[in-house]
Amino acid sequence: MLKFILRRIGASALVLLGASLLMFFLTINSGDPLKDLRESNDPNREQLMAERSERLRLDDSPWERYWDWLSGVGGCFTGNCDLGVTINGIDVLGLTQQAASSTLRLITLSTLLAIVVGVALGILTAIRQYSGFDYTVTFGAFLFFSLPVFWAATLLKEFAAIQYNNWIAVGQYAPWTIVLVAALAGFLLQAVLGGSTRRRLATAAGVFAFVAVMLFVFNALDWWRNPMFGIGGVLLVSAAAGVLVTALTAGLRNRRVLYAALTTAVVGVIAYWFTAPLLVDEPTWLLLIGLFVVAVVVSVAIGAAWGGYARKQAMLVTGITGVITSFVVVADILIAHWSDFLGLKSRPISTIGSQTPNFDGEFWERVLDMGTQILLPTILPTLVSVATHSRYTRSSMLETLNQDYVRTARSKGLSEREVIVKHAFRNALIPITTIVAFDFAALIGGAIITEEVFGWTGMGALFQDGLNAVDPAPVMAFFLVTGIAAVLMNLLADIAYAALDPRIRR
Amino acid sequence: MTTLDISAPGPVSAAGDAVLAFEGLDVTFKTEFGDVHAVKGIDLEVRPGEVVALVGESGSGKSVTSMTALGLLPRNARVRGTIRVGDKVVGGLDGRGLRNMRGNDIAMVFQEPMTALNPVLTIGDQLTEGLQLHGLAYGQKATERATELLDMVGIPEPERRLKQYPHELSGGQRQRVVIAMAIACDPKVIIADEPTTALDVTVQADILDLLRSLKDKLDTGILLITHNMGVVADMADRVAVMLKGDLVETGTADQVLNHPRHEYTKRLLAAVPHLGSGPGQFGDVAPVRAAAGDLPALELSSLVIEYHRLGKPTFRAVDDVSVSVAQGEIVGLVGESGSGKSTIAKCALGLIPAASGSVSILGRDLTRLRGKELKTLRKRIGVVFQDPASSLNPRLPIGDVIAEPLVVHKEGDDKSRRARVLELLDAVELPRSAYNRYPHELSGGQRQRVSIARALTLDPELLVADEPTSALDVSVQANVLKMFTALQERYKFACLFVSHDLAVIDLLAHRVVVLQNGRIVEQGAREDVLHSPREEYTQRLLAAAPVPEPLEQRRRREARHALLAQLGDEVAELRVDERPERPAPRQNEGGNASGLGGFTGGAG
Amino acid sequence: MNDIRNSNPGGEDYEPQVSVAGTDAVGLAAGGSAAPLPGEDKSYSQGQLVARRFFRHRGALTAMIVLGIVIVVAFTSIGVGPIPGWWPKDYTLQYDKIGDGAPTWAYPFGQDTGGKDYFALVMRGTQFSIIIAFAVGIISTVVGTVIGALAGFYRGWLEAVLMRMTDVFIVIPLLAVAAVLGRMAGESGIWGLAFVLGLVTWTSLARLVRGEVLSLRERDFVLAAQAVGTSAWRIITRHVLPNAIGVVIVSATLSISTAILLETSLSFLGFGVQAPDTSLGTLINEYQSAFSTRPWLFWWPGLMILTIALCVNFIGDGLRDAFDPRQNRTKD
Repeated sequence: MLKFILRRIGASALVLLGASLLMFFLTINSGDPLKDLRESNDPNREQLMAERSERLRLDDSPWERYWDWLSGVGGCFTGNCDLGVTINGIDVLGLTQQAASSTLRLITLSTLLAIVVGVALGILTAIRQYSGFDYTVTFGAFLFFSLPVFWAATLLKEFAAIQYNNWIAVGQYAPWTIVLVAALAGFLLQAVLGGSTRRRLATAAGVFAFVAVMLFVFNALDWWRNPMFGIGGVLLVSAAAGVLVTALTAGLRNRRVLYAALTTAVVGVIAYWFTAPLLVDEPTWLLLIGLFVVAVVVSVAIGAAWGGYARKQAMLVTGITGVITSFVVVADILIAHWSDFLGLKSRPISTIGSQTPNFDGEFWERVLDMGTQILLPTILPTLVSVATHSRYTRSSMLETLNQDYVRTARSKGLSEREVIVKHAFRNALIPITTIVAFDFAALIGGAIITEEVFGWTGMGALFQDGLNAVDPAPVMAFFLVTGIAAVLMNLLADIAYAALDPRIRR
Repeated sequence: MTTLDISAPGPVSAAGDAVLAFEGLDVTFKTEFGDVHAVKGIDLEVRPGEVVALVGESGSGKSVTSMTALGLLPRNARVRGTIRVGDKVVGGLDGRGLRNMRGNDIAMVFQEPMTALNPVLTIGDQLTEGLQLHGLAYGQKATERATELLDMVGIPEPERRLKQYPHELSGGQRQRVVIAMAIACDPKVIIADEPTTALDVTVQADILDLLRSLKDKLDTGILLITHNMGVVADMADRVAVMLKGDLVETGTADQVLNHPRHEYTKRLLAAVPHLGSGPGQFGDVAPVRAAAGDLPALELSSLVIEYHRLGKPTFRAVDDVSVSVAQGEIVGLVGESGSGKSTIAKCALGLIPAASGSVSILGRDLTRLRGKELKTLRKRIGVVFQDPASSLNPRLPIGDVIAEPLVVHKEGDDKSRRARVLELLDAVELPRSAYNRYPHELSGGQRQRVSIARALTLDPELLVADEPTSALDVSVQANVLKMFTALQERYKFACLFVSHDLAVIDLLAHRVVVLQNGRIVEQGAREDVLHSPREEYTQRLLAAAPVPEPLEQRRRREARHALLAQLGDEVAELRVDERPERPAPRQNEGGNASGLGGFTGGAG
Repeated sequence: MNDIRNSNPGGEDYEPQVSVAGTDAVGLAAGGSAAPLPGEDKSYSQGQLVARRFFRHRGALTAMIVLGIVIVVAFTSIGVGPIPGWWPKDYTLQYDKIGDGAPTWAYPFGQDTGGKDYFALVMRGTQFSIIIAFAVGIISTVVGTVIGALAGFYRGWLEAVLMRMTDVFIVIPLLAVAAVLGRMAGESGIWGLAFVLGLVTWTSLARLVRGEVLSLRERDFVLAAQAVGTSAWRIITRHVLPNAIGVVIVSATLSISTAILLETSLSFLGFGVQAPDTSLGTLINEYQSAFSTRPWLFWWPGLMILTIALCVNFIGDGLRDAFDPRQNRTKD
């Protein structure tokens, strides 16, 4: 396995090298870096041109320039990185560090969301093949495949952001909106859950009533401006998540696993109660990550203790439940800070930049600020990827469900849930890992565009400005960051592939 | 799953102790091309400890019948009639009841062991899940029971096997695992759907021995679905013959196989080649009339073929093989999967290179020729492949397919080519209207006829036939073989005939070459090799091939067991003596140390 | 057809092939003499069957009609080159503005800030975008098919080059390479742009074709052709590619939709079509700041892109279903 990974890394490094050569030569030949100066009427034109030629080393051969860049990058291994300077003499390394952090945040979030949502949708549509739900998702997928991202992003900016900001100033839903939203929710859920006509009607009616009442209550409490969740809510949601995860993986009949999951939720909430003072005021990222790791370890331990004969399954279930509980806790804290945040920033979703300049909130308010800023630029690349993933998952799942071993599993008396989760799903995931890796590069392309629309000074801007000025250093910095990210993503996909498919393990 | 109409129950079963009973079973499928009536009201019973063979050709509805017993038909199926499994009526069960029945009361052994097991789960996972599901054993207990089950079906080192994945096992071992899964919950009846079709003949004999001991020792009823009359003769107590959804004849094995009454059964049996009967079953084979001085049509000398694999040692598929085919002679190349027989055929066609040795066609070495000379030599070789589904280009009409070799070698004009194609269509007994048809409009047998016509277009001196009839139904195979012998008589081509079916080789080959793991085990005249074999491997192979006559097959089986004993091997059987709680087994002779050694499986 | 290969759930037994398989039994009944052929008298080639299936796909058919209308209107309304169209207004002229330039009967898409007729402008952009998309589709299909077929058939260095090229595009986002190339070719007009975009978009198609060819070259009919001495050229053109046509056509369709999105994105970023030429992407770029004051200037070009790409995708889906009838839709 290690040999396999090392070989992959070696091959990727060679590909990166070749691609960097290609990118460098294409970039320096894409135009004339002195064009603007040639056309200017500045009296010291000649001097400026000479200065720039000197800075970009235009008189050297392209190979020498490339070698210069490459050895600068090679310096990163010994601790003194040199990514060159821009056309205006600014150090690219510093620019890159800023830009990379915001762009990678965006891309990572998009990728994770796209995988989770896309795969889930793909499985649901495969199970409900040729249902209204399937057709709707299929149409939606085609729509997002065909969407010009830059155009849709502008629409999102104009409608979602500005309209929401106007609305949150009041924070009340009109009654007809509530009825509409509740009806929509009811319709969607019955389509997903399926069943006989009678059951569908019951589902739809139940969801409609629940959503409508909740929304009216929220209105009455002015919840949207002063939201709160509370420890009871955390317990309820975590426990529900535990039950759901159990139902999906081990089946509710397996009481040991179910109790293990519920224990995890309860322990999580108790831990929240005790650590709340630490968490709520001014935590650090390190503390949060540390607590998260502890939470996961404790959860898995609970699974191991409860599991008995189904130990492996129980540990998986409690681990997932632990992660979900942690996220619910974070969500609770964030929700509690929302009204303070509104106080600091009355129009919460601004459409420029990855964070509000000169924002002086506390830790959680800063997190909320980054969250609201990342929301819109993430949505579109995510949706496009969701479309791809859901289609691939659907066809892969349908293919798998037609296999002989699925028939064998059914003939043993396994329920549809066990057949799908245990036998079909894992096999269906194998081809998807490859697609995810391929799609990653497309996602970076999408990020360049949304960054442009939403005015982020990220990698996209670095690339665009660099290319416009025929300035290789920032363009190559963009390539370096995205290229390494893509290589890592591929490596992850390869490892996942090997983990999923015993036939290629060595 | 399936909607079963229970409002019209069939007559109450007379034999109350049947473990599986179909009464007036009728299945229709709704398809976009209209309804397909797959099963047309049949009655059938399986009693404990009894093997009922359901026989028929493809499309007869036998697999559909078996799937109804598990309630596992696709949703576009409409099932009428009553199906009883033990005391349960399948149509009356809800989803949970059905799932409870599957595995517990009725289990299934599928045809293809390569695909019947989930590739990403360990053998242990797949064995224990049924036990845990039906509440028989959990955790460590389930693992122990799984070990026991693997041991029962004769898999050596069961503890280690539990942690392995299906791809690490050979085909025969995988089928044993499938059988272990089927008996895990001690079902009353097992449906075995072509359980040995995908296996080599020696492995088939072992699996059949295992199934036989299973019904003897556990008193399980078996519904055996097969198209192979030899398997029927070997296993069945009673036989039911299906034709296009109808049961045309039922009776004991002796009644049906030796005294068939229905026209279709008679025809079906007449179409089965009988090992040991020699030539003349489907037309006479002309004697070889090559003069002593004639060059051999094909001469392989010291042929070695190797496959280079990335990151693995080179695999030697064929090792030092020397075979000669005289003009006008049919040489049968026999062996199990992985023996290299198809590789040799491809090399003789110049499709894969030889690592060393030579391939001479009429005295000219194929491996040394290039360009034009090679092309000229290729005119003198024809080829027929196994799979009728892939041997014809789906984009070309039949006329173009057959004329293609003429076009490639620029022979004749359009008119003469058309005349030649029509002549060949007559020769392979296809109507001339086939000229403008496309391959997908033809049945498997018809396509194989087209393949043969194409091979004969250039009037070759040598024909290489790679399992030309093994993908065909038995009656179709009989017709194709009949036609083949007639054509050979007429065109006098030499032929390298590759087959795994000894009976087919027996009826048309002049000489036989037996291969194992890329080496020649034995070669000689047909009657010597097939009727008095000298080598142990040939003896095993012959002993394992079943014949379609129950009494004779019983003699052959006993002779095979004697041979195995003499060679120091075990007879495959269920080992149950470690489980005293079992309902009194009929015989108890278990306790063997290991399974049978002869599992070459699907390697290569 | 035969039990040996028969391993679908429920068995192939219930599929419509039953009628075909049955004929062997009929042949048997006739005692081995010439067996009658199944089916009607009319014989369908694979192509005809595909066409029949395609026209039954309602979404694809609708998409085809809509796309046809868009193309016809885009090219006939303002004319192509020297040929005049039926639309009376010119995209270069500035007309008197009616009100704030919102859509009216005289100016169905409205007028831009300077009073130009926006319908004529959008039609011109659509023309350019469609020309580029189709040109890119054709170039990348030809290049991809040739390279994929050769790589799949001969393996060797060509295959190695293809796979490395693919690796490169996993590492560099397509948009980034296209932007660099687009900037280089921008001066040479839309044909130059179409050419360079075609040169970078063929890899996915080549991979698909290669995969298809890899499996086809192991098929018995190809082996049989080789055994009889057929030349490699004839095998590729007569036996391999005609059977890979489904993959090629479907991918070609989808590459057109990729191309239109890629081109408009590049033009939006300023690395694609350069003035005086115009495309739907440059229009959006030019007028995106006018969104709050003159939203129609923003809506029309975007909707045109969406319509074209959506239609192309639906046609591709219909073609895929038509060429690959495995996932037959049987309603239950």
